[in-house]
Amino acid sequence: MINQVKAELFKLQRNKTFWVLLFIATLLSALLHYLIIIDWWKVNDSVFVRAGLDELSGLTAFTTPIFFNLFIGTLAGFFISTEFSQSSVIKNQIMTGGKRSSIFISKYLIFTIGAIMIAILIPLLTGIFEVILLGHGEILNVHNLVYLSRAFGLYILQFIGYTAILVLLAIATEDSGKTIIFSILITIVMYGVEMVPNLPIISTIYKNSIFYQFSAVFQASMTNVDILKAILIAGITFFIVTIIGIVVFNKKEIK
Amino acid sequence: MSKSILRTNHLTKKYGNAIALEDINVSIQKGDIYGFIGQNGAGKSTMLRMVTGLSFPTKGTIELFGEDNPNKITDAQKRMGAIIESPALFSNMTAYENLEVHRLQKGIPGSACIQKTLELVGLTNTGKKKAKNLSLGMKQRLGLAIALLSDPEFLILDEPTNGLDPMGIVELRELMKKLNREKGLTILISSHILSELHQLATRYGIIHKGRLLEEISANELNEKCRQHLRIKVDQPTKGATVLESVIGTTDFEVMPDGTMKLYDYLGRVRRVSKALTEAGLVIEHLSQNGDSLESYFSSLVGGAGE
Repeated sequence: MINQVKAELFKLQRNKTFWVLLFIATLLSALLHYLIIIDWWKVNDSVFVRAGLDELSGLTAFTTPIFFNLFIGTLAGFFISTEFSQSSVIKNQIMTGGKRSSIFISKYLIFTIGAIMIAILIPLLTGIFEVILLGHGEILNVHNLVYLSRAFGLYILQFIGYTAILVLLAIATEDSGKTIIFSILITIVMYGVEMVPNLPIISTIYKNSIFYQFSAVFQASMTNVDILKAILIAGITFFIVTIIGIVVFNKKEIK
Repeated sequence: MSKSILRTNHLTKKYGNAIALEDINVSIQKGDIYGFIGQNGAGKSTMLRMVTGLSFPTKGTIELFGEDNPNKITDAQKRMGAIIESPALFSNMTAYENLEVHRLQKGIPGSACIQKTLELVGLTNTGKKKAKNLSLGMKQRLGLAIALLSDPEFLILDEPTNGLDPMGIVELRELMKKLNREKGLTILISSHILSELHQLATRYGIIHKGRLLEEISANELNEKCRQHLRIKVDQPTKGATVLESVIGTTDFEVMPDGTMKLYDYLGRVRRVSKALTEAGLVIEHLSQNGDSLESYFSSLVGGAGE
């Protein structure tokens, strides 16, 4: 298992798509935060405004599934799916006697680390860096830091549930284009479910999904029950999707 | 008793209703260079894909290094190297980096094995060239390097000469012979070109339309393809006596249908014919025969209900 993880890390370091996405995310995040901090772009309402962190409102875009999926859906396509389609290098990994479950988990682990870097760490760190650089460091007081830690801690938990869905999608479709398209479709459907009035059963399912939690965890205040609920939803999603992913991969015939 | 490396028992693979492989029983012993011959679409790659764990049998079992438990066979697969269909490479990585990924995956300590393997396949001069910029033959060599990196005991090569120039084919053949001779490497090599395997294989498995038609040793095959005079006379027993007593040879055999195969006197048909006639035998047929490997394969495949 540790060998597979090392190999995946080596591959991620040499993945051109990863570096391009990292660069774009850094550039976009830096620009977005800059425009908001200098008041060129006014954001009147966002979870960060409500939490008293107006200067970090640029993070709202990066925590919206329909937006961050563009980055990590692309990474899933070009880091995982291409191994099945264009290069077929997945064959080597299986032929050398690697256990399929270990291969799946190592791919998931390294992809998730890459995705967290692109979609969470880079936006958050560039935001904090610019806030300090542009003279608004006072907002990073203990109260707000506790909020950011709690919110992003829970957000990362939801995120690892979502990356498990993407890895499953990437392995099931074996095609980078399909992975990207299907992941976009998922986020659009979830956005539609959120926006359009629907059946109570659908609404209940949605409110107990990571897609709802992606925004819920950024509420200015959360009760212990809310926090526990967020942890449980993320944990259950991660567990179920990963098990399904391993089963799908174990039964998959490699072309 | 020789050690079994690979044994398949009634291996069958179906895709829906289509049968890709049916009831294949193959046995490969340690030290064999097993030539797996069949036309395109005969089922060679399907079988190799199952042996390497890329796909799963519909029926039957695979025993690799004596292990036939599907849950434990991955450990046995660690002892083999393979190229199936085409070499699988990271196109944006160099030859060295491609091998490094494989080294990490297999947990091989130290990176000395990479240089050693690159030297073995003659790819030391590729430098920073990405795999996508290598020629087809070089890609094939790199695929071979990946398969050989962990010093496997069993090597599976599926149509390995695709893309190789004539010199490359000769080099590959010599390399396989050398590894087999010096390291005792067991090799399973598939091809649809019989002559390609002829100078290499010690045993053959001939597959056609998903069925294994014959498993035969190189010696047996050569024997079957040996040039001979095919003689049919009205009294086979007397004919055999004439060959022994008059012509003075025992290098012949009488086939179940009474036909005699005489491996001697190939250039002296008249002498044989005269002796038989003078003994009062009626010669119904006399011709010089002997299959080339290709015609043997064709006759076998043709006889399998084309």
